[in-house]
Amino acid sequence: MIKGILSGNVALFHESDTYIVDVYGPAARAIEQSQTETVITGPHDAFTEQANSNLSLIRERLKSSHLKVIKLEVGEVAKSNAYILYIKDIANMDYVNELASRIKAMEIDTVYDTNMLIQCIDDNPSSIFPQFISTERPDTAVSKLSDGKVLCFLDGSPSIVSVPASFFEFFTSSDDYYQRWAIGSATRLLRLVAFIITITFTAVYVSITTFHYEMIPEHLLLSLTESRNRVPFPPLYEALLMETTIELLREAGARLPTKIGQTIGIVGGIVIGQSAVQAGFTSNILVIAVASSAIASFVVPNYVMSASIRLVRFGLIILAGLLGNFGLAAGIAAVVIHLSGLTSLGSSYLSPVAPFHSSDWKDVFIRAPFSLFTRRPSQSKSPNKIRNKMRK
Amino acid sequence: MRNKLSFFHTTIMIYMFQSGVVILSMPHILAYYFGTNGWLAVILISLIVNVNIGFIFLVYRLGKGRSVFEILEQSVSKVILFPLYIALAILWTVLGSLVSKDYVHIFQLFSFPNTPPMLLTVLMGLLALMLLVKGIFVIERAATIFFWLIIWMLLLLFAFSYDFEWVRLTPFVFKEGDNFLLGGLNLLKGFLGYELSLFLFPYSDKRTKLIQAVIIANVMITLVYFITCFIAYGFYSLNQLKGVLYPVIDMMSYIKFPFVQRVENLFYGFFMFTNLFSTVAYVWAAKEACQRVFKKVKPGILAVVLIIIGFSAIAIPDVTGEVREWLAFLGFFEIGVAFILPVLLILVLITQRIMGGAR
Amino acid sequence: MSKKGVRIVAAFLVIMMMAGCGDERILERLGFIESQSFDLLPNGKLRITCSIPIADPQSEQNRKVIAIDAESSKDAKLEFNKKTSLTLVSGQLRNLLISKSVAEQGLWDKFDTFGRDPAISPQVNISIVNGNAGHLLEKDYKQHPPTDKYVNRLLGKEARAHTIPKMTLYEFSRDLLDDGIDSIAPIIKEEEDNITLDGIGLFMESKYVTKIDTEEAIILGFLRGNLQRSAIDVELKKGQQVMFNSLTSKRKVKVEHADTERAKVAIHVHLKGSILEYTGPLKLDNPSNRREIAKTVSEHLTERANKMVKFMQKHQVDSLGIGQYVRNSLSHNEWQSMNWRDVYSKADIKCYVHIKIRNIGKSS
Repeated sequence: MIKGILSGNVALFHESDTYIVDVYGPAARAIEQSQTETVITGPHDAFTEQANSNLSLIRERLKSSHLKVIKLEVGEVAKSNAYILYIKDIANMDYVNELASRIKAMEIDTVYDTNMLIQCIDDNPSSIFPQFISTERPDTAVSKLSDGKVLCFLDGSPSIVSVPASFFEFFTSSDDYYQRWAIGSATRLLRLVAFIITITFTAVYVSITTFHYEMIPEHLLLSLTESRNRVPFPPLYEALLMETTIELLREAGARLPTKIGQTIGIVGGIVIGQSAVQAGFTSNILVIAVASSAIASFVVPNYVMSASIRLVRFGLIILAGLLGNFGLAAGIAAVVIHLSGLTSLGSSYLSPVAPFHSSDWKDVFIRAPFSLFTRRPSQSKSPNKIRNKMRK
Repeated sequence: MRNKLSFFHTTIMIYMFQSGVVILSMPHILAYYFGTNGWLAVILISLIVNVNIGFIFLVYRLGKGRSVFEILEQSVSKVILFPLYIALAILWTVLGSLVSKDYVHIFQLFSFPNTPPMLLTVLMGLLALMLLVKGIFVIERAATIFFWLIIWMLLLLFAFSYDFEWVRLTPFVFKEGDNFLLGGLNLLKGFLGYELSLFLFPYSDKRTKLIQAVIIANVMITLVYFITCFIAYGFYSLNQLKGVLYPVIDMMSYIKFPFVQRVENLFYGFFMFTNLFSTVAYVWAAKEACQRVFKKVKPGILAVVLIIIGFSAIAIPDVTGEVREWLAFLGFFEIGVAFILPVLLILVLITQRIMGGAR
Repeated sequence: MSKKGVRIVAAFLVIMMMAGCGDERILERLGFIESQSFDLLPNGKLRITCSIPIADPQSEQNRKVIAIDAESSKDAKLEFNKKTSLTLVSGQLRNLLISKSVAEQGLWDKFDTFGRDPAISPQVNISIVNGNAGHLLEKDYKQHPPTDKYVNRLLGKEARAHTIPKMTLYEFSRDLLDDGIDSIAPIIKEEEDNITLDGIGLFMESKYVTKIDTEEAIILGFLRGNLQRSAIDVELKKGQQVMFNSLTSKRKVKVEHADTERAKVAIHVHLKGSILEYTGPLKLDNPSNRREIAKTVSEHLTERANKMVKFMQKHQVDSLGIGQYVRNSLSHNEWQSMNWRDVYSKADIKCYVHIKIRNIGKSS
């Protein structure tokens, strides 16, 4: 009996009987700060792998009787639980039903993570862009709920996915709402600029140095030619080499503990960058281009999206290296055409630009003062369009 | 979900259908055919286009929004109609593909002069195909995005405010011109694309306000042409405009930014977007027509077949001069179609109405 | 993306692989012709010199100069190409230096390519060289930046100060082809250690006719258009000088009478400037004295302006663009039937210069 207590069980004495009760709960991670979506101001808690604790995190912030949860079973073998959350009368039931039926229709042995789940149920599985947005932050999750979106998550996964999502939603962060509106707006614009830089900067460099020398202004011409002069490869190879190096560094850093990660950063950034230029391996202007587009790619708050964009960038660099500005324009056209063909749970991925809803723009490209947010986003097709009115 | 076109997007889409590379040479065309103050002609032609849109409106009204094909098939025998559809489809496919080739030929003026033009053209064909297989609703969405990607270029016109001089405009109207009729037809080609709204009837309802959208699109394109040509007339002297084939490209190369110059190299690439939509518009219309004949074939396969036919046909004209000749020829044909088809439809509708009344 | 989409992307890439390549113009394999000069040889051929910057930091020289005798400028490019390891391109051309002897023969027919070649920017500076243009370009001026940049910056800076007109390929051909104005172009010449401005050349059609001295250039400037941020130095009498700074000017051309035979035109120029220097007897803090000075300066400038117009009329060159205004006041038929050059040389053209003193600087 003592042995039983010592091994962590509870002893219960009742009259002459003694019961040893096993009160061992399943091991769980404590609620910690999110590693992938950190904010400076605002709440720091993040979802864990426990569905119950995740639900409680949301309930804590949304004490509404309208908050509904649907529980579904996923995976033929694993039989994990998937949860669908929505606010009744705010969320569009079409989305809820569509999502539920898609999850039910899944045919797969095991699903380990929400991010894997959504790849099995999104509209265009072969697209490189994520069509549902996932988050680890309860405050973001709640704001999506009140926008009229539907949430979905899997037991055993710390990320929650919000549907339907639009392309531009991936460029917003909950930090924007905790800053003053002017700063929040400036940050959003900065992210869009970062998006353009990361997609085009290196590609434009390659295009100009390979095909369109006319475009270089007089005072840049000499320094650019000088630094290119010692490089033995054409700009395309040079750029691909550097971009691959950066990707290697990023991938190495991601898999290593933080402290070693720092060493990798120093070795990569200073040693390779500096000596590659000195050895005449790359031109220093390319190093600037590659580095700034790499930094810009990390400005995009959503990691999945930022990875997609970086892949697109490789495509554009190759196109620019083969066909200059023509290739660049064709590449951009192809990306835009692809994006406009995408749907997220049947609604347009490019909302609110196409279909056009100017009233949504103030919460997409800028972050207007809260007093101006009177309507829920049009993409969620909420039956309750005006915010702050819970009646039907 | 509403499976009809929306007003805003239809406007933009028609605008994108209409705009193309004609704008690059438009001041030259105006100066050559109309002479002094040729920019006024833009408004005249726009008015003529509006009359034509009026006819389309009548078709829409009298036909109560029925598809053009249905209207025709109700009164005219299919034996006559199907060859007509095929002929129109061929005209549109070749015209649409030719627009792409024209774009590529202009591109090759300053870059890739030694690359075979057909390679670049086929690349554009693939882009067009990407859009076509996705149907009109995706085309509409993509048009909006491309519109925003290109419309800001109008701001570049501010760069010329310093060199603009009123005195170069002269008070003379249409003097030292050449052939007004030919010039007018050439100019009209820059507006083409609106007539395809005839085939949008089945995709629109009351909330689309189709005709209003076409008119607004036409006003937009008129404004863009007007402002560009007006500024070109104050920026260049008349005889200079007559000598420069693509004044708008030259104007762009005049702009210098501190970090980049000779921007025509880059911005001309963006004209691919508007041009792509001209191609898409025509091939789409051809697809619609063929669909009536080959009802069982899937739209996607039809689009592929049409693109292959179109791009094989335009492999024949080789040098820029030939492409231009073909384009001029087919363009005039298309102007004819744009004016005759609505009139024909109105006649058919009136007969149907009389017959219906008699019954 | 459907399977069809994947197929399209694949086709895309295959085409890309096939295309390109042949038209690469990789930066370090190119030689950028930055300046080109044209001289007339006794046998009627052109001597064309071009200067190409060298980007190699190890090289002692910062540019390479090649000269060739050729019929036309495109001929020359083929010849140039034989003499260098780099592919020569003209997309970075900044300066065209044309010797006076070539300019006197007329520019346009020889320079067809500059309008036709899409690589050449319309922003190329045109200047006339008094003397041997090739020699000017070949020489290195020790105290100055490399010669191409030196010329380019000299012209750019002076054009911003309006002491010379900004004259690029675009402006030159615009004025050349306009029937109401004649082109002008700055003249430079070579000195021992420097390059210096040597006035402004006046053209009739595309032929150089005569020139205006550097001192009078600013007057041509405000008679021809509106100026900003300019400066002028006026010597009223011996030892009496006024210098105006931050000068702005507005020109108004009034056609008082015009028909196919005669024309009467008044040019009003309104100047406004700050006095930077005054060496004279009057006290400037007195308003009436200021008016007095403004009046004398105005009279002085008017006189110089009228003299210049007479000079132009004598040579039948309408460098001020008065023809544009006369044309705009006539009907089209009248303008077509009149011989503007004849009418111009006999026309009654009066200039009126009015100057206003904006402030007198820090001291009285």
